[in-house]
Amino acid sequence: MAVMKFLCDTKRCIECNGCVTACKNENDSALEWGIQRRRVVTINDGEPGETSISVACMHCTDAPCQAVCPADCFYRTDDGIVLHNKDTCIGCGYCLYACPFGAPQFPKKGAFGSRGKMDKCTFCAGGPEKNFSEAEREKYGANRIAEGKLPMCAEMCSTKSLLAGDAEIVSNIYRERVAARGNPGAIWGYTPKVGA
Amino acid sequence: MKLTSLRSLFASLVLPLVILMGLGLSTSALAADGQNSQQIANAKTSDADLWRAVKAGDSGYTVAQGSEAGVLINVVGNEGKNIKNEYLTPAMGVAVLGVFSAFLIFYFVNGPSKLTKGFSGKMVLRWSKADLIIHWVLAISCLGLIFTGINIMLGKHILQPYVGEGVWAALIYGSKTIHDYVGPLFIVSWILCVVKWMPLQTLKMYDLKWFLVVGGYINFGPFKGKHPDSGFANAGEKMWFWTLAIFGLFISVSGIMLVLPGLDLPREASMAALLIHGLSAIIIIAFTIVHIWMATVLSEGGMECMKSGYCDENWAVQHHNLWYDEIKENGTLEYKD
Ligand code: HEM
Ligand code: SF4
Ligand code: SF4
Repeated sequence: MAVMKFLCDTKRCIECNGCVTACKNENDSALEWGIQRRRVVTINDGEPGETSISVACMHCTDAPCQAVCPADCFYRTDDGIVLHNKDTCIGCGYCLYACPFGAPQFPKKGAFGSRGKMDKCTFCAGGPEKNFSEAEREKYGANRIAEGKLPMCAEMCSTKSLLAGDAEIVSNIYRERVAARGNPGAIWGYTPKVGA
Repeated sequence: MKLTSLRSLFASLVLPLVILMGLGLSTSALAADGQNSQQIANAKTSDADLWRAVKAGDSGYTVAQGSEAGVLINVVGNEGKNIKNEYLTPAMGVAVLGVFSAFLIFYFVNGPSKLTKGFSGKMVLRWSKADLIIHWVLAISCLGLIFTGINIMLGKHILQPYVGEGVWAALIYGSKTIHDYVGPLFIVSWILCVVKWMPLQTLKMYDLKWFLVVGGYINFGPFKGKHPDSGFANAGEKMWFWTLAIFGLFISVSGIMLVLPGLDLPREASMAALLIHGLSAIIIIAFTIVHIWMATVLSEGGMECMKSGYCDENWAVQHHNLWYDEIKENGTLEYKD
């Protein structure tokens, strides 16, 4: 049994927004106007120490959205992916308030709580409907996990900064990278640059 | 460190709720701890400090639209969720079950408060037609909000496990929709009630004495047969009025914050509104249960007031002696013809 996670290697991310576009394209059927499941944020933009990171739902192990939802529409798959049922969702917005990563989004902003059904990253694992069904495509987008593939955003990442997959494998890849890069600034006078 | 900021905020909210709702909540400063700005300055050189600043709510550049898209991590809402799940949800259960069963037990031990001289048959005008309408619109809207609100807060624990998926989806969606649209009706009738009835509800010295003998409702021990002084409203009713006035304001303002997503409030403000809404609901619901018990079974002859607007003369003398003396003296006493 895997535990699926995203990891964004900030030393590699070049803020190309390819992951955002890949996600939009892959899940197009489910994404109403204005919704973007993934976003890239750049800290210290244009200054020394500039760092970009791609973020979407982190598929938390003890997910705040799931714990706060009054309709109880979230569930965790055997792979540790946090999914939700749009038929039960009442669009109250509690999950958006509780999520530390700002992942849940709503198609509308009408008065009297009519936000519409919440949408968020599914780790390209669809939803509670039958795998590959029309209903699943329309409500949740792609189900690549059921096809044995990983999320489109990570697959399309040009620098292989965004990693997705079983936590153990992902962290092994990252650990190898860190070992290869060294740790600049950890020892006096030792400042190797990435690729130098 | 983890829970301190919002938890202490919550503690300090209970008293100066209004001020905070207006001022403090929209600042994301709540999320940041004291070292934040120093960390942000250091972040240019140190990876560890960069992540610490990000975790403290530091915001960056992004092409994504939407409020707070540049914020990578905001832990305040999760702290709010902890408060909600650890304290408010259980407190709501205790309020509903506890207060109801306490009164049930009290009723069986104590029995109702009877009219010592029985009914006189002469009916004295107490509430106008307008008062009756305000009362029932307020009561029905409030009850509608209570039942739907309880389902929104407790339904997934007490109802969902026992009904099918489709039934649950319909129930929770129905609750939310009814709650959203009955809210404004409550607000209007609440305003009318507060404005129109406020003059009758000012606290007087004799109200203190009323509390000392528990309103004369105890039928045993040293309190038996006591009939403390009271004006148009007794001290207990005044308590109910002021609780509803104050927490009605909190629940209305926080409800409006929740019901209008177009306001685009920061997550801190929305979560604070949710907590204030839940806390106010607990208090109002507990008092509502007390109020309904008193009106329907505990005080003989009390229900008549809100049915016809008239009360029995003996009831007026026993429960609201000062008011009765006053209207008798100044000639405003009106009998039903
Ligand atoms: C006596 C009056 C009221 C009671 C007892 C009440 C009770 C509740 C309760 C218990 C909840 C669930 C809170 C939680 O899950 O933590 C809730 C949610 C909510 N309340 Fe109220 N409430 C009242 C008045 C109002 C008013 C006046 C409004 C504004 C129009 C309002 C708008 C909301 C909204 C928007 C929610 C979130 C769920 C939703 O979107 O429907 N409430 N209420
Ligand atoms: S929506 Fe937010 S809280 Fe829920 S699993 Fe994703 S990152 Fe975690
Ligand atoms: S918006 Fe939907 S998913 Fe989010 S907490 Fe409300 S009911 Fe649950």
